[in-house]
Amino acid sequence: MKKTLALLGLAALTAACGGPAATTKAPDPATLTLVDRTPKAAGPLDNAVWLLGQEPGTLDLDLDGGTDNRTVMANVCERLMQTQPDMTVKPWLAEKTEQPDPKTMVLTLRQDATFHDGSPVTADDVVWSLERHAGEGKDESDEFEDVQSVAKTGDHEVTIAFKRPNALFVQALAGGAGIVLNQKVVDGLGKDFGTPGHEDACSGPYRLKEWKSGSQLTIERYDAYWNKDVKPLTKTVTFQWADDTALVNSLVTGAAQGAYLSDTGPAVAPQSNQAVSVAYGATTRVFVLLPTDRGVMKDARIRRALSLAVDRAGIAKSGFAGLARPWKVPVGAGAWSYQKEAFQAAYDQLQGAPDSPRLEEAKKLVQEAGSPKEPIIVATNGEQARTVIANAVVDAAKKIGLTAQIKTVPASEFGSFYTDESLRAQVDLVPDDWYITKSDPIGFYDNGLTGSSNNWVKFSSPEYDELVARALSATDDAARAKDVIELQRRFTADMVWISLVEVPNAVVLGSKVTGPPASQVNMGYPWAADLGAKG
Amino acid sequence: MVRKLAGLLVTLLATSFVIFGASYAAPGDPVTFLAGGKENLTPEYLAAVRAEYHLDDPFLVQYARWLGDAVTGDLGRSTQYNDQVFDLLMARLPSTLGLVAYAATLFVGFGIALGVLAAVRGGRTDSAVVAGTTFATSVPPFVVATALISLFGVQLGWFPVMGGGSLWHLTLPAVTLALGALAIISRVTRQSMVEQRELDHVTVARASGLSERLIVVRHVLRGALGPIVTMCGLVTAGMLAGTVTVETAFGLNGVGSLLVNAINTHDFPVTQAVMLLMVAAYILVTTLVDLAQPLIDPRVRRRA
Repeated sequence: MKKTLALLGLAALTAACGGPAATTKAPDPATLTLVDRTPKAAGPLDNAVWLLGQEPGTLDLDLDGGTDNRTVMANVCERLMQTQPDMTVKPWLAEKTEQPDPKTMVLTLRQDATFHDGSPVTADDVVWSLERHAGEGKDESDEFEDVQSVAKTGDHEVTIAFKRPNALFVQALAGGAGIVLNQKVVDGLGKDFGTPGHEDACSGPYRLKEWKSGSQLTIERYDAYWNKDVKPLTKTVTFQWADDTALVNSLVTGAAQGAYLSDTGPAVAPQSNQAVSVAYGATTRVFVLLPTDRGVMKDARIRRALSLAVDRAGIAKSGFAGLARPWKVPVGAGAWSYQKEAFQAAYDQLQGAPDSPRLEEAKKLVQEAGSPKEPIIVATNGEQARTVIANAVVDAAKKIGLTAQIKTVPASEFGSFYTDESLRAQVDLVPDDWYITKSDPIGFYDNGLTGSSNNWVKFSSPEYDELVARALSATDDAARAKDVIELQRRFTADMVWISLVEVPNAVVLGSKVTGPPASQVNMGYPWAADLGAKG
Repeated sequence: MVRKLAGLLVTLLATSFVIFGASYAAPGDPVTFLAGGKENLTPEYLAAVRAEYHLDDPFLVQYARWLGDAVTGDLGRSTQYNDQVFDLLMARLPSTLGLVAYAATLFVGFGIALGVLAAVRGGRTDSAVVAGTTFATSVPPFVVATALISLFGVQLGWFPVMGGGSLWHLTLPAVTLALGALAIISRVTRQSMVEQRELDHVTVARASGLSERLIVVRHVLRGALGPIVTMCGLVTAGMLAGTVTVETAFGLNGVGSLLVNAINTHDFPVTQAVMLLMVAAYILVTTLVDLAQPLIDPRVRRRA
């Protein structure tokens, strides 16, 4: 229903605009240029209306760190480290991190940071916050699996002891796991913390002003912000939420000034409209096929063959209106926050996931595997992207002597593939999109570990498992990159998952505003602080 | 009155059981929504989430827990919003009630006027009204919404394209919602008036030389009012449950979109509360219409 509405809306909109501008020609995926930031803002802005896909469920990110929740709170809450628009990570509330040995991390805290109630950010708050994030059932608790203890070791010093080395933890501190909360405020609010009508407990350049449940949420510039180098031009940001059609209409009519898009659908109409601009940035988000071990997909040769035969350029064009690019690995380039050249060079060499089908090679592999007759069942929830992918699989299978069928499951059931084995036992391939919040590919490759809950095809390799452990403990970037590249090679050689297209982060801006980053840092970097009026 | 009230409570209780059972049996697992990101879905984490929300308890235990809390006035906390269900409802009700009230004013006013016009004038006017309203009912609301938005919102810029808060914001959604209903009311009015005109007392009134205007207002319309009021009540009651398409199209955050979202994310406490509210509102409106009937039509009063 929602999709039909969106499509009709777009159709009506393009019809209404008339003229040549309305023919939304799909852009060429190959020419999609990615930028870190939109052009710098020049002047102040009193208020900006910013659109979200959905109303945030809660502003307590330990309960639910959904995309919309994070997009709002990135401006309000600060972390020990901060991801920059170019996806690198730099010290923030912690001015320094040191590792005297691989199993110890010492954080030196800034002394001038204050919360929104004026009280200083103390080592006690940091210890308490980290322990809260690590709590059972909390959203970021998985980041703390290797952590033995967190302790205050000085007035401005916190020491983290690890059970085993974890090179990724610095990255985690730039994400939800590194948010520092004001213990006094959170304790005072109890269960009401994070619900409408209550204050925040953070230290960022903006603070929560008002959340009218069901209609809008406003944040305002915090004038006593501790970091004088950050000068937000926009005084208040009002968040509203809308489905695709209403979102596009609001941007086009100027009722709203901007939005980060997670769906490419609504980016198509504004593309051709003079009143709005769309910028694309780096992301870790990739559409993939997750195979199960139920039938023919169990054979790595069949997985490789399918990967060679599927038309990635076609999927990018018809499934994503050209706003995606064929991609060979399961993590987007936004994850390459270090050793970028090494990652790029390794990526270029990969052969198993071509832009356009290589059918002869694929057919050979199918023959080697004994040309199985059992049909491949590929799932979809009826959404456009997934349906296009499912059809591409059917088409690819047919061309290499296999058969495939599509099985549609209700949208509300689709997520259950990850939790329900009996549901998984009914299909061979599940198309889905994946992103990781840490800009380091090692944050992804543990999905290929023996027994990992997302390793449905039951890929198992002792060398791979050893490599993951080694990479996770390699605090030297060059050494880690080398291991990660080897992991990437092994993962894609056996096609534990089949990668399809990378979907860049998109930010849509009205004609009067500019400044925020375009890359996927809108969930952890105070992007509103960069927003302002156009010169 | 006591009997009516008891009947209402039993209906609500039965409804709550059916709704709870239906959402429990719906495909998909609530834990996938509660767990947040896919990065988190380890068996241990899922087990912790299941325990926190008592998802592994048997159906009857979960229902009994909900009912026990509800009777004491605690509708629970939304699993998706983590907020009190009562607060969620209170924040969204004004939007939906405002929308329905606005739409009701429109369809009652214009619907009856068109019906009267068709009945009184007859001939070409009658055919035009019938054809026009037939067309109006045949266009689905989301098409009307799209057309109105692209014309009055995007192209002409007269009305905002999304959001609520003022009459101005609610106008296009209310028109969308009223259009289908308007057709029904105008036809019921027309039919009822035509029947009344054939009755003896109208012929007598006409023979006694009363002006046509007085005859229409005092005798025909008054006599025809019973079925019209009943239909207006039913349509309004139905609207309370049917605002979701319009709310979605216009980005209005009302009870309808809250419900659909809650169903899709297996948010039991919210689903229960909204559905019960809708059932209660339906019963309330139809009861009010029942009570109003004798005031309109003396014959009903006498029979009672």
